[in-house]
Amino acid sequence: MIETENLTRKFGGLTAVENLTLRVEEGEVFGFLGPNAAGKTTTVRMLCCLISKTSGEARIGDYHVDREADCLAIRKMVGFLPENVGLYENLSAYRNLDFYGKLYEVPDEKRRENIERLLKLLGIWDRRNDNVGDFSKGTKQKIAIARALIHEPKVLFLDEPTANLDPEASKTVRDFVLELKKEKHTIFLNTHNLDEAEKLCDRIGILKTRLIAVGAPTELERSLYNRKTIVHLQAVTAQVTEAVKQFNAVKSVREVDNKLVLDMDHPERDNPELVRTIVAAGGDIQYVTELKSTLEDVYLKLIREAKTQ
Amino acid sequence: MRFAKSWIVATKDLSVFKKNRYILYSLIGLPLLMGILIPGILIFSLQAESAGLTQAQLTETANMLINLFTAYFVIIAAVLPTIIASYSFVGEKLEKSLEPLLATPTTDSELLFGKSLAAFIPCVGATYIGTAIFVVIVDVWSFTELGVLLMPNPYWAIIIGAVTPLACVLSVEANVIISSRVNDIRAAQQIGGLVILPLLLVMILASTSQIFPLVTLALIVSGALAVADLALFYLAKATFKREEILTKWK
Repeated sequence: MIETENLTRKFGGLTAVENLTLRVEEGEVFGFLGPNAAGKTTTVRMLCCLISKTSGEARIGDYHVDREADCLAIRKMVGFLPENVGLYENLSAYRNLDFYGKLYEVPDEKRRENIERLLKLLGIWDRRNDNVGDFSKGTKQKIAIARALIHEPKVLFLDEPTANLDPEASKTVRDFVLELKKEKHTIFLNTHNLDEAEKLCDRIGILKTRLIAVGAPTELERSLYNRKTIVHLQAVTAQVTEAVKQFNAVKSVREVDNKLVLDMDHPERDNPELVRTIVAAGGDIQYVTELKSTLEDVYLKLIREAKTQ
Repeated sequence: MRFAKSWIVATKDLSVFKKNRYILYSLIGLPLLMGILIPGILIFSLQAESAGLTQAQLTETANMLINLFTAYFVIIAAVLPTIIASYSFVGEKLEKSLEPLLATPTTDSELLFGKSLAAFIPCVGATYIGTAIFVVIVDVWSFTELGVLLMPNPYWAIIIGAVTPLACVLSVEANVIISSRVNDIRAAQQIGGLVILPLLLVMILASTSQIFPLVTLALIVSGALAVADLALFYLAKATFKREEILTKWK
């Protein structure tokens, strides 16, 4: 649905996005993670035909972002939630959505239906005639998401949808995105929030001008650090340690207090046999746990590496 | 360019203006004030000067003053857009509503035309209402005192029919360009106000000049304004581009 190849954007001497190559499938929720000024917003702006590319290729469906004629078609098929909600504060929620529905050429009857459906879904139908300026930040964000969906777009670009929101409002917005995910919308989500990305996205790309990593959250978590199995014992004996070292599936063993920290590629497959081996060596197992590297570990490591390059 | 798209943008802007008291009071107040104040001054001056004048001399003086004061309505038509257009463009910048607007399937020209239309319609409309009040008051006085209707006259018709809307367009276009460089509504209004200075000078020179007959002069000013409008239109169009707005508008 979204495809880029060596997409690059420069502002004078500054490269905002460099050789970005990625593919987002239809119905996928793709998260774009990166620090400030990593090029996330610039990428979304290029994909929404708001700014031009310096070089490379980018397509939404069959349309090319650099063709004037295709840009109107792209804008019609994508929904865009910018970082700042940008609603008209002196107009009602209904009037805001109606205005955008008209610009997106949604027929009158359909437009009325969509506004009602979205505002009811977001729980603000009863306040549809209130001025947007009277709403809380979270509610404004919800109205802005409704605005992005008013024309039933095939692709939705969300730029920092929960930035500056309190935890409750953030949760409401995240729950709404999860609903959209169930409805198989293709969503391109820019975020700083690692937890959000992990919960919502099928795949994540980490961007620091260049794309440094891409994959499913669990793949990324495993990509840098092996998963670790921790065996808590009554006491760690030399016999137990030796038996574990001889166990083929274990790549390394570390002893910490009365725990053994083991590096393994496939703990689900090998842990039952490992437990039997330790018991056979006279070990008294209290319990077995897993130590996962988090998306945060991966993100911070990759970003630090990118900074030093 | 699809006019329907521009009209959607214009009607939205007009809804926003309706809810802005500052804009509303300016639109009603300034033309109303001028519509009453100018004929008031005119009538007061004529009453004061009337002693010793024949009816023909009084009519001639009245016509001269009417032509002089008519120019003020051009100034109103140029001043009002500095209030409205600055809200229209800088206001969108301040509300950060330009980006979602630019993401819609509309062309740059449709957006620019729609926003310009939203500034133009109320300004010219309000000016015409002020002018209508002016005409009614002057005609009531002239018919009562002189037994003739002094207005409308050919000079007034050209000034109100051509020069006023052209001056309004000039001011709107200038404000688009100014809005791309400033972030503050008051700054936009103050800089926009400078646009009317050369216009004011031209109008005073035109109405007091003896070089050309007034009607000829009004036609020359109309032509000059039309050329200036066209030049500024291309400049405004070059300024109002998505990429420029998102990356360069400060």
